Amino acid sequence: MDALTVRGLCRRFGNLVVLDDVSFTVPAGRIAVVVGPNGSGKTTLLRCVVGADRPDDGEVLVDGRRAYETDAWVRSFVAAALDDIDFFPDLSVVEHLELLAYAHGGPVEPVAEVLTELGLDRARDQLPATLSSGQRRRLALASCFVRPRRLLVLDEPEQRLDVRGRAWLADRLRDERATGTAVLMASHDAELIDAVADSRIEIGG
Amino acid sequence: MTSAATPDRTAAPPDVPTARQLRARLRRARRRHHHRGLGDLLTDVYLVVLFVAMYGWALVSDLRAYLGSPAGGAADPGERYWIAVAALLAVAGLGWRALRAVGPLLVSAAAQSWAAGAPVDRRGWLLPRFVVLLGAVGGGGALLGVGLAFVARADGGGDLAVAALAGGGWATAALAAAVLAQASRVTARWPRLLGAGLVVGGVLLTVGVVVSHFAGGRLGRPGAWLAGGAVVVGLPLAVVLTVRAVRALPRVDRAALTTGAQFANAAATAAVMLDPTLLAAVVESRRWRGVGRVHSRRFRAGRRWWVLLQAEVRRLGRHPGALAAWAAVILVQYAVAVAVPSVAGSAQVVGAYLAADRLAGGLRSVSRSPGLRRVLGGGDGGNQVAHVVVPAVGAALWWLATLPVGGAQPGWLDAILVSGVVVAVHRAATRRPMDYDTAVADTPFGMIPVGLLSQVLRGLDVVAVLVVAQLVLS
Repeated sequence: MDALTVRGLCRRFGNLVVLDDVSFTVPAGRIAVVVGPNGSGKTTLLRCVVGADRPDDGEVLVDGRRAYETDAWVRSFVAAALDDIDFFPDLSVVEHLELLAYAHGGPVEPVAEVLTELGLDRARDQLPATLSSGQRRRLALASCFVRPRRLLVLDEPEQRLDVRGRAWLADRLRDERATGTAVLMASHDAELIDAVADSRIEIGG
Repeated sequence: MTSAATPDRTAAPPDVPTARQLRARLRRARRRHHHRGLGDLLTDVYLVVLFVAMYGWALVSDLRAYLGSPAGGAADPGERYWIAVAALLAVAGLGWRALRAVGPLLVSAAAQSWAAGAPVDRRGWLLPRFVVLLGAVGGGGALLGVGLAFVARADGGGDLAVAALAGGGWATAALAAAVLAQASRVTARWPRLLGAGLVVGGVLLTVGVVVSHFAGGRLGRPGAWLAGGAVVVGLPLAVVLTVRAVRALPRVDRAALTTGAQFANAAATAAVMLDPTLLAAVVESRRWRGVGRVHSRRFRAGRRWWVLLQAEVRRLGRHPGALAAWAAVILVQYAVAVAVPSVAGSAQVVGAYLAADRLAGGLRSVSRSPGLRRVLGGGDGGNQVAHVVVPAVGAALWWLATLPVGGAQPGWLDAILVSGVVVAVHRAATRRPMDYDTAVADTPFGMIPVGLLSQVLRGLDVVAVLVVAQLVLS
């Protein structure tokens, strides 16, 4: 069973066609990377997949079922880190992650592990306003790993990560694949793509 | 992921907290670092109520007194009545668009990322917001109804109650309908048609009244049955739509919830920072994104100012809404001349400013962006002159179109007023970014931030001087 199926997806802004009849599948335990030049619609595609944007045409299926963002089951299935993430100014790093774990009905134990893994241990009590852009990016990624997931959607996850961070990311994505999670990500990092991609989805070429 | 549709699979998976539990946990966590008690909240509410009551009462009572005075009352009651109905229709249409722009239901990006994006029950998460909105909008509509009835001197207890019920009912119905629109499919056309229909209805009614006025016709004024009819239709409609909206809450998706949040955040920041450009930037971005792609053409060769002028005209052609607004203000001027002829002269000055300001988008862009000015090259003066041509021509044409219903003044004063309007538009469009470190004057009325006010009122100050000049010299 494919974890994600996209059929005939179209998205237009006015008379500008950004996505034109995009179709692909991502089986469980596979990593698909969306590649294409700037402005080709990679982010728009990911936004349509997670329901942050409304496609003009086409459909998205998750685990073989038509996916609606309003469906709680779908929200529990798909974890995503896109550019539109924001933070509560008055909650610390660890409180954000514990809140998310609680909201998904899971234990808060994985939070400490994920914080360590992402090198956010020392920043656990910091408020978002004091974080660097790299730390914010790590927190966004951490939000995907403290909750249950079977499909992971990431928009250029390598952005603002240092060399060690990128190495960790590649390892983590391989771990996700090993546990059966499907991954759909957009990336410009050739090294990361070569290291993890099982398939490439080229758009806007 | 496709948006709001029909399947009933929205039950939360097991072990997921209820929306109420999640909200409570979020509130508890935030309170640990953010000490804001009930007293602070009540103080804020008190200040808002006091502000609305004081200034609302002053506005309503002054308006009522003026319209009842010999100068303000010099108009046919029937025509004035129907102009008011047309204005209500148009305002309702614009209000509908505003409701749709902000949601009306919205979730902040932070709440979406860390709470609402979880598999909690969507209706449970949105219902408290919906109820608060319903109360606020319904109450506001009722207050508006009472205010209008008081201005129209229908101030018996029964009349005011009917006006409150009509205003509250229709406002509640509008909010519930907006939530239904938010939960509907992206292809649904009725929300757009409803907004456009209300505005077009208001415009057509105004045109009809104005034409009838100049053709020498007389319009009757309907009796109290119209207000009674509004209650009879509005209240059941509000109940039905509210029930349907509550049922539709689980179908309001993330895209619909967060798009309005961007707009609402920009509006709130603009209001707090007294800087409307913060909101204008979001509105412009949405507008041009909706256009998407345009037909690019080479500019005709010529001097620098000529090319800049062509670009300015081309931009205007791609924004027909600005021209429509310019033309709509002409109709407003005619409507004012029919309904309240005593203020037609002052209204003409204000209207010319508003109309020309709609055409000053290029001047605003150039003035607010140092980067754009650097790229364009040349001096600031030359850039501004090239971009002030369109609003200046627009002001002059607007003035000519409204001459028959403007103030009775000599030709030389017309020329001065039009020039003054262009100066006002230029001043407003070349407003610098807000500087909050400005002078404060200690007056008998308290501390007044003079520097801040002078920045906010830049451009409007000239309009005020022009209105006084028009009143004195005409």
